[in-house]
Formats: sequence, structure tokens, C-alpha cells
Amino acid sequence: MTTTDLARERAAVRQGTFEALRRRPVVLGLIGLLALAAAVVAGIGLGSVFISPADTVAIVGRELLGWPVAETWSRAHETIVMELRLPRVLTALVVGLGLSVAGVTFQGLLRNPLADPYVLGTASGAALGAAIGVLIPLQIVWLGLGLVNILAFVGALTAIAIVYRVAGGGGRATMTSILLTGYAVGSMLAAGLSLAMYLSGSQLRQIFFYLLGSLSGADWQSLAVGLPVVAIGSLLIMLRARSINGLLLGDDTALHLGVDVRRERAILLALASLVTAAAVAMAGLIGFVGLVVPHVIRLLVGPNARLVLPLSALFGASFLIWADLGARVTGELPVGIITAVIGAPVFVLLLRRYRAGYQL
Amino acid sequence: MSERGLRIDIEGLGLRYGRSEVLSDIDLHIEAGERLCLVGPNGAGKSSLLRCLTGLAQPTSGVIRLDGQPLVEIERGAIARTISVVPGQVDLPFSMRVEEVVRLGRLPHENPFTGTSEEDRRAVDAAIARVGIDRLRDRDVQQLSMGERQLVLVAMAVAQGGRLIVLDEPTVHLDLRHQVDVLTLLTRLTDAGLTVLAVLHDLPLAAHFFGRLVLLDEGRLVADGAPGEVLSAERIRDVYRVDPRFVPSFASS
Amino acid sequence: MAAAAIMLAPLPWATGVSASDALFPLAVTDDEGTEVTIDAEPQRIISLSPANTEIAFALGAGDRLVGRTDWDDYPAEAAELTPVASFTGVNMEQVVALEPDLVLAAGNFFTPPDDIERMRELGYPVVVIYAPDVPAVMADIELIGSAIGAREEAAALTAKMATEFDAIGEAVAAIDARPRVFYPGGSEPEIFAPAPGSVVADMVTLAGGDPITTADAAAWAIPLEELIVADPEVIILGDANYGICPADVAARPGWEEMTAVVTGDVRAVDDVPVTRPGPRLTQGLASLARAIHPDLELPAFPPDAPLCEGAGA
Repeated sequence: MTTTDLARERAAVRQGTFEALRRRPVVLGLIGLLALAAAVVAGIGLGSVFISPADTVAIVGRELLGWPVAETWSRAHETIVMELRLPRVLTALVVGLGLSVAGVTFQGLLRNPLADPYVLGTASGAALGAAIGVLIPLQIVWLGLGLVNILAFVGALTAIAIVYRVAGGGGRATMTSILLTGYAVGSMLAAGLSLAMYLSGSQLRQIFFYLLGSLSGADWQSLAVGLPVVAIGSLLIMLRARSINGLLLGDDTALHLGVDVRRERAILLALASLVTAAAVAMAGLIGFVGLVVPHVIRLLVGPNARLVLPLSALFGASFLIWADLGARVTGELPVGIITAVIGAPVFVLLLRRYRAGYQL
Repeated sequence: MSERGLRIDIEGLGLRYGRSEVLSDIDLHIEAGERLCLVGPNGAGKSSLLRCLTGLAQPTSGVIRLDGQPLVEIERGAIARTISVVPGQVDLPFSMRVEEVVRLGRLPHENPFTGTSEEDRRAVDAAIARVGIDRLRDRDVQQLSMGERQLVLVAMAVAQGGRLIVLDEPTVHLDLRHQVDVLTLLTRLTDAGLTVLAVLHDLPLAAHFFGRLVLLDEGRLVADGAPGEVLSAERIRDVYRVDPRFVPSFASS
Repeated sequence: MAAAAIMLAPLPWATGVSASDALFPLAVTDDEGTEVTIDAEPQRIISLSPANTEIAFALGAGDRLVGRTDWDDYPAEAAELTPVASFTGVNMEQVVALEPDLVLAAGNFFTPPDDIERMRELGYPVVVIYAPDVPAVMADIELIGSAIGAREEAAALTAKMATEFDAIGEAVAAIDARPRVFYPGGSEPEIFAPAPGSVVADMVTLAGGDPITTADAAAWAIPLEELIVADPEVIILGDANYGICPADVAARPGWEEMTAVVTGDVRAVDDVPVTRPGPRLTQGLASLARAIHPDLELPAFPPDAPLCEGAGA
């Protein structure tokens, strides 16, 4: 008794600015938009080569918006802004957004706070696909995507399709059995990946860098393919926020609340997998974003998917842009390392600060 | 507060899973605004009957009509707006506040594009007030007692706005005080015009709070009527296979 | 005659150069078979391997280099160039900022293939250099010479190197012994050994040794059991630069029975000139020949700086 009383009291004391935010999710949305805008500006403005802010703005203004500005900058600077930084920042935005939205979806569907976009074997599938792409001595380019990206995309989707079929996802399969099947299939694919890495010789480095995730290969072509998949997939997921909310209470209650559980779950799994596969094909396996961003947002606004989805999208996008900027200024460290190094402490801090009753 | 309750007609209902017959030949008519309690031993088919009624299980034979319309012809969303089910036990993957849980009751009314409407917010406020859990509104559900949680789930069902409220053992795990709170709440709901259908194991409480009991045994409807008629000492002995003296209200008879 | 002369006689150099006499614009075929067009004599060259940097300097084009990798340590002037590549790959912003008119990349995944593709997308002429064996090094020097407009300098350099190869070859040929030589590139976690036909295996042959290799051109490592069976008579510590000395080798379980360890024929060399496919290859060969045959006299080449002082063989 006394311990719960104490916990309640402490929880009550902790509510403050947090409570104010929680009551006004729109304010949080505005903060998210501002943070995203700041991230985009910083992402385009900063890098290992210095380009003055005025030139940066003028280049983007002239090239994208057709501003009538005189060209006072060098070709090299224009190339850096337009061909390197802009597509890279936008790819980070799209990947961060996609992984966060997929993370919310997987956590909600599987009713498991430890779920992330990679939980159902997508990561191992994508990694194995990419490794095979690295090892096949062919230069295939389709829609501007290299073999590695294409096979990563195919690998991720194949893995989840296998998991869904093996677990009998269309029938009476429980989410626990899907999760466990995901783990088993993932382990098998990971063994295949280890074998591929063992056999890869001098290509090992390329596979390894794919596993750590990186945005250094971002260009307009892959963005042009990945952006629509992530954008449309995320939008369709957001329109099904109702179903994700219903599933919070379990299958039976969701049915009683009018959610066609089997159908909605299949659709949401497919959409989230598609978004994950696209993100993974664009940037490799960037961990942590899809796990932590949804939790941070839930800590701030509660578990209502209608709020958590768009806010996670916003903050996930800016988080990955900032993390990638960190990767760039530290001499191209893999961005997955940065997301973990920044993300983990922030998460733990929020967890301690805001919610005594949060159970994992 | 006056609402129109749901009228339910169940005729010749049968349900089998493979070879085992779970329900057979059930005829049951519930008037709008009636408060009815299903009783019977474990495995009698009470929960299965509720599952058929709420569309979770497809009957193998017979028909269920809601206000005269066959249940099979009603789409899931419409059923959800008509029948509110109080979940037995819910374990939440994430921490949630009371108000957020109650708001989930409005899902069947939500527009996928615009989300919660002003009407939804009013319904949530009204349900919270009606169940009397205003003071719990911003609390984390995981910090509540079992009894308080049960009230929150009832509030969710009330917010859902069904004209029939279904409860499967709503008082299990509750102390006497909270049992009485929940059951008193149900009488208030029928007083306002809603139909209430509950499953209870506690026969004295059922007899006290419900004017009509339906006794099921081995998938069949054994008795239907006022508590005094249904719970005869003979039936207690036949159906439950216990000495009636173990049931307090029969201890004297 | 010397193995060196036999190998070097039909040198297929000048392979990558088109027949045209007018120097630029010029189309060259790089070591990956890609045809690269260079519009004018390159004035801003980025080198993406230490060997390419050494070759460019040796051809007198050091002042036209603008970018290098983190590992370019020779000649000393290379340190003044802007570093644009590290173990994490090519820093594309720096490459673009340097506005190169030629990029000399390295093949066999030393320069990440994605980065090579990216630089080409951005419109830079990228010539990929990769020498799988010793004759290919000579061809690469000629290829770089063509690409940067220094054919005559390249011809002179390869001619000088050919003479030096021949000189060492003759000296080695005068010695009858062809000891079994093992040249480990490292021993953790596996024993890294030269593949048959690799630059290092070629170099050992040219230096008068019989190289112990991995038997498979695609394998990098040799199992300890096979190494014990192969029983090296001389062990050349290519990893001496990284702190491995004869005493360490003798202490390894299973190595104490090898002939080289028993007779004390475990010697250190500076591996950079031996393994870097550039203009110092002949100097590396001289060091290697002296390490395999300690009595060999090669007065034309400067003496080697001692490695592993006090731990000698």
C-alpha cells in the first residue's frame, strides 16, 4: 500500500510541463515541425566542407524554387548542396519517418513494447539480401537502384512473408507465435548472413557497413523510388490508426469495437513491412529509431495511435537527420552508432522522468 | 436519461466446435431495457452464448435477431455501435490513462480521417461521469485497483454507446464493496433504458440484482425466470452438483 | 636464367592506352575494364591509394595532386594534400570541393565500389587501378602515366624498374637455394598468407624463394596444420611493422617445430615497399631477397633499416 501511494505521489509531482504538452498535442506537433525544419536547414547547411548559410539558401532557392538569384557560388558548392546534401537530408527524413511509423505499427500490432521494425525477420532478410547482392559479381541497376538495394528490399519482404505463412498468420495464429516464428526465421537468415560474410573476403567491409546503416550513398534516384513507398505506406497506416488503437486491448475487445482484426492485422503488417523494406533498402539497417522514437512519443502523449503515428513520423524524421549530421561531422561514422549513442540516454532519461508506471 | 434498449431474439441457437456441441437449441427473448443474468456451472456455455451474440462466434444453427434484424446481416461496425461488451480482463502493452481507455470505446464511431469528434468527447465525459470515476480520469490504469479498473472498462462500454451492454463475470476479483458498486451501476443503466446482459457466478448477488435469471447447463437452457423460480434447491443440486446449503440464500431452506 | 627475366620479358604494359597520338582528349581502359575519357591534361588529381600517390609523385605529377587517403605516407610531401578517404570510405563533399579533373581510385574494394559509382555519377573521370601481380604493377604505372599525360616519364620509370628487377634476378639466380618461404600478413585471428599468383607470392618467387601460399586464389588464410606440413625454411615477417618479431613467432603453439624457427631463419622486413604496388617495388624486392638470402650482395640498393632490434634471428 505505502509503496503504491508513494509512487502515485511521485508521479503526481512529475507532472508539469509534461502535463501541459500532453494536454496540447498540437503544440508538440508544432515543436516537431520546427525541429524538423531546423534539422533540414542544419543538414543542408553543415558538412565537412564549409558553405556560407547565405550561399546555401541561395542555391536551394534558385535550384528548387526558381528564385532569381545571381550565381555567386562555385559549381562545386552547388554540386555539394544539390547532389550530396539535399538528397541525403531528404533520405534521412524519409527513412527516419518510415522506421518510426513502422515501429509504432509493429509495437501496436504485436502488443509488445520491445518490438521494432526489424522484429519479424525483416532485418536479417534485408541483410542477407544485401550480402547476396554484394557477392553477386554483376552490376545491375534498375530504376536507379543497385542490386544490393533491390535484394535488400526483396529480402526484407520475403522474410516477413515466410514468417507470416509459417506462423499461419491468416488463421488463428497468436501474436506471440508470430513473434517467436519471426525470431526463429530471423535466426536462420542470420546464419545465412554469417555464412555470406565468412565467404565474402574483400567484400566483407561493404556488407558490414550495410549492417551498420549509412546514408552516405543517398542520391536522387533511390529517393525517387523510396519516397513514394514510404510516404504512401505511412499515410495508409495513419488512416488505420483506429485499428491500431483497437488492437491495444487485444483481439476480442478489438472485434467488439468493430475492428476486423484478421484483415486489419494483415493489411497493417503488409504496410509496415513495405515501409520498413523501403527504408532498409535506402539506408541499410539503422537501429534504434523505430524502437525508441515511438516510445518517447508515447511517454509524451499517451498511446493513442492517432497522435503517436504522426508525431513519431515528425520526430523520427528530424532525429535521423540530426544523427546523420553527427555521422557526417565525425568523419562518416555509421549512423546506427550515432542513433544508439544519442537515442539510448535520451530514452532512459525520459523513462525515469515522466512515467513511474511505464511497464516494459 | 432515457435511452432505447436493444431487443434480442434468439431462436434454436446451436454451436459446435468439431464434434463437441457447445450450445444446442437455445431460445431466448430479451426485451428492450431488460436486465438479465446468465448463470450456470463452468462449461455450461454462457461465454459461448455471449460470443455468438456479439458476433465473435458463428452459430452452427438457429438465428439471432437484434430488434428483429438477423445478426448475420449486420456489419461489424454497426454491431459495435449497437452492442457494448465490457472486456473481462485487459492487459495493456503500454501504460494508459483512464480517459484514454474510455476513449477507446468511441472507436466504432470514429472517422478514419478526422478522428475524435466533439460528440465523441462528450460521450467520453458523460460515460466517466455516469460511472462516477471523475477522480480517476488522469490516473494511469496500471496504478488502479482491480475494482477501479473494472469500473473503467464499464465506462469504456458505456462510452461505446451500445444499446445492449454485455458483461462476462464483471465482479470476479472484486471485493464485496466493488461488486456492489458495479452491479448498482448496471441497475442504473437499465433504469435509463438500456438492455443489460451479464454472466455471474455469484448466485446470491445475481438473485439480488437481477429480476430475471437464465440457467444454462451443458449447452442447454435449463431454466428462465425470476430468481426464486430458477434457483430452486433441486436445480442447485442437479446442475451444480452441490448441496444447496453451500449457497447462502438456501442455507435455511 | 632468372625467374624475373622470364616473367618480365613479355610485359603486357601499355595495354590501357588508345592508339591515338594526340594526348588529350584521351580514352583509357582502366583495370576494371571501364573506358574512361579524360578531356584535357589533368591538373587537379585525387589519388585514392598510397600506391597511386607514390606513382604520381614518381612521375613528377606531385604538384598536380590535390587529394589523398589517410594512409598516404610516402613521399613526405603527400602529407600536405587534403585527405579525402579513410576507412569509412570516400568523403564525397571533400572530393566535390576539390573539383578534381581526374580520380585515381583503387580496385578490389579498396575504394568502395559505391563511391566509385557515385563519383562517376557526379561526372568525374575515375580510373580504377588494381594490380593483381607484379607485371600488372608495371602496366599500372604506364596507365597512370597516360592518364595524367606523363607517358615518357612512365616509360622511363618502368624501364628503370625492369633493369632493377633484372639486376636482382641475376643476383638471385647466382644462388642455388630456393628455400620454402612463408610471408605471413598477420596471425590473428587466422594466419593470413599470400594467395597463389598474388603480388606477394610473385615477389617471393622473384626474390629467390618458393612461396608457401593459400593454394586457392580466393583464400586469404592458411590453416596452421597445412602450414606445419608445408614446413617453411624461412619466415619473413611482413607484419614486423605492426610489432610482430621473431621471438613472438617462436612462442606460438605449433610453430616451434617449423624448420625456419628451429634454424632461426625468421626475419623482419618493412612490408610497405614489398606489398605496395608502386615505384618502390624494386627496393622492396631487394629487401625481400636479402631477407631470404642473408648472404646476398645487392650494393645498388640502400641497406635496410633494422626492424625488431635485439630480437634478431
